Amino acid sequence: MKRETDYGYSIKSYYTPEDVPEWSYETNLGDPGSFPYTRGYHEQGYRSRMWTQRMTAGLGTSKEANKVLHKYREMGQRGGMCVISDRVFSSCIDPDHPLGRREAGVLGWPGCSLLEFEELMDGVPLTGQSITLLGSSAPSALRLAYVVALAEKRGIDPREVHGSVIESPFENYFGQTDVQPFDLNLKLFLDASEYVIRNGIRMRACIISQHFQESGGNNAQAIAIELSMLKELCGLLVDERGLDFDDVALLPYELVSVGSRFFEEIAKVRATRRMWARMAREHFKAKKDKSCQLLIAVHTSGRTMTYQQPLNNIARCAIQTLAGAIAGCTALDNATLDNAYAEPSALAARLSLNTQHIVAYETGAADVVDPLAGSYFVECLTNRVEEAAYRILEEIDSLGGMIAAIEKGYIQNMLREEANKKFRELDSNERLVVGVNHLPLPEGEEDFPIPVQEVHASDSEEIAARMQQWKQTRDVELVNRTLTRLHEDARRGERFNLMPSIIGAVKAYATAGEVMGVIRMARGLDYDPFKMIDCPFPLREAASEPVA
Amino acid sequence: MNKGNGLKVIVSMIGLDGHTTGGEVVSMILRDAGFEVVYLGVNQTPEMIVDAAIQEDVDAIGISSHASNYPQIERLMQLMKERELDDVPVICGGNIPPQQIERLLASGVARIFTPGSGADEIVDYLAANARKSQAHG
Repeated sequence: MKRETDYGYSIKSYYTPEDVPEWSYETNLGDPGSFPYTRGYHEQGYRSRMWTQRMTAGLGTSKEANKVLHKYREMGQRGGMCVISDRVFSSCIDPDHPLGRREAGVLGWPGCSLLEFEELMDGVPLTGQSITLLGSSAPSALRLAYVVALAEKRGIDPREVHGSVIESPFENYFGQTDVQPFDLNLKLFLDASEYVIRNGIRMRACIISQHFQESGGNNAQAIAIELSMLKELCGLLVDERGLDFDDVALLPYELVSVGSRFFEEIAKVRATRRMWARMAREHFKAKKDKSCQLLIAVHTSGRTMTYQQPLNNIARCAIQTLAGAIAGCTALDNATLDNAYAEPSALAARLSLNTQHIVAYETGAADVVDPLAGSYFVECLTNRVEEAAYRILEEIDSLGGMIAAIEKGYIQNMLREEANKKFRELDSNERLVVGVNHLPLPEGEEDFPIPVQEVHASDSEEIAARMQQWKQTRDVELVNRTLTRLHEDARRGERFNLMPSIIGAVKAYATAGEVMGVIRMARGLDYDPFKMIDCPFPLREAASEPVA
Repeated sequence: MNKGNGLKVIVSMIGLDGHTTGGEVVSMILRDAGFEVVYLGVNQTPEMIVDAAIQEDVDAIGISSHASNYPQIERLMQLMKERELDDVPVICGGNIPPQQIERLLASGVARIFTPGSGADEIVDYLAANARKSQAHG
């Protein structure tokens, strides 16, 4: 059995002061709330603010997802909600698209129009909790438009809403590829980010390593990728969009994947905080302390949730949740025992949320900030993963940054090799996973059955048919006018911000497929990425009419 | 190792499933075992996969599934029958729950490899069951 970290550092049987030579409390750690923030940003830790205990929702129709959100609130999820999109909305096509028809509502929430968002949020507060909508980069601008539009309808100042709806374009390369091209995702990411920064909306952008790691990347790579993305995207917002770094720094947050290798996961999060603090101060010349504090949320690792003997995942989830809490985080969503089967059942969701509540209120882990500081082992691990990450970061820098490294295939190759390595380690029993390659159930013995949520083909068809009919009931002339304006604006260059015209179209109930299709056409692409349908609007004919 | 013996296999995601890790790992395993792999990647409709199978004259199709979009796989199986490709086995790999496995097998999928399946298991199955495999004659 291998006794080394996933980035190849051999672990010794015990650690002494000699394993952390030239280590100084002030330089390497500092008190909680002090630079370089290894120990976190608040002296009082969770005493001043408990992490947001949340659970991912989204499956079936918007009305069904709405019921789940209400149920989660009843289960104690009050600080924030987190909804994941289905593949149809993630791809920015519509449920009534020939391909969308077979997948609407299957792997998440079918949020392809403002109507769906209104149904999702029925009776759910838009303020007083963080609103997080995830899924992929492409719909970032649409999700932001939904929030702005619904806030307006409810008479709420959008600046009162907080959460995250914008997603980094790089995730397309992290084993979860999407349909829309990178340059388009990047443009819309920058537009949405610039819009929230200039308008003082407290919506964050997830610039996150989670997908990279869940697809097989190791801890050191995950940190390096995270910092490279931050460097590139914050750099673009400063250089190309003319924003002040101290404003830009309030935008990103990191969603870090936390697995079962307890101490290594905690070391990773500590190193990430320290490395960003240095990058913010040294590279970006941050003027404010706050700019050096990267918001970190934890996702306990879905990839570690096994298909075999799924009840074992309850133990894994608890260990990972404790690691996430000790590492220090602003929010935590944990994987569920049925993660390898489907979206969480009510039973699985309650178990995982309660795991968080148990860690928060029964273990005492939330009483003390960074309780493992000063452990020779943990400080050594923090230094080791930082060193390994800096080496990769330098490599990416030498290639010209994150975008250049992607263009050269460097990041994709790194991930592919690492995923293969992880598979080989399991296949050859170098790493053991209980119930999978160690102590599997005896031949003929059945696993305890667990409830598994299912979406049927008829459910997707129902979502598709509803959208198809509902589209006809809209003010079609208004939809056409707003889409025409969007089409015109989309031809005004990369730096012309499309958010105002996207918000206009979304308020007129233009759908994800329509909004993205029109932007695509303005960029010389097909309306439909799959070339199966054409733009149903005349666009040009109405161009001379005034826009509402 | 040359169990693949030049047998030609498509590896693809289907529909809007963008999760590529499993498909890429399996492609590598099959290549290392002497199969000729036609890796289609993402954004493949059932129609595109069938067209590729005919054009490339492949001996088996492997679908990596991580998005619960089983109706796309069922549509693929329907097309395989319509286009008379019944002798080309379709295998699926991924986190497919037991009740779905039954439905997919009933629709004509030859074999499902769930998470934890070993490299040898996949290689041996294809070496024995792909069209034009020696075991098939």
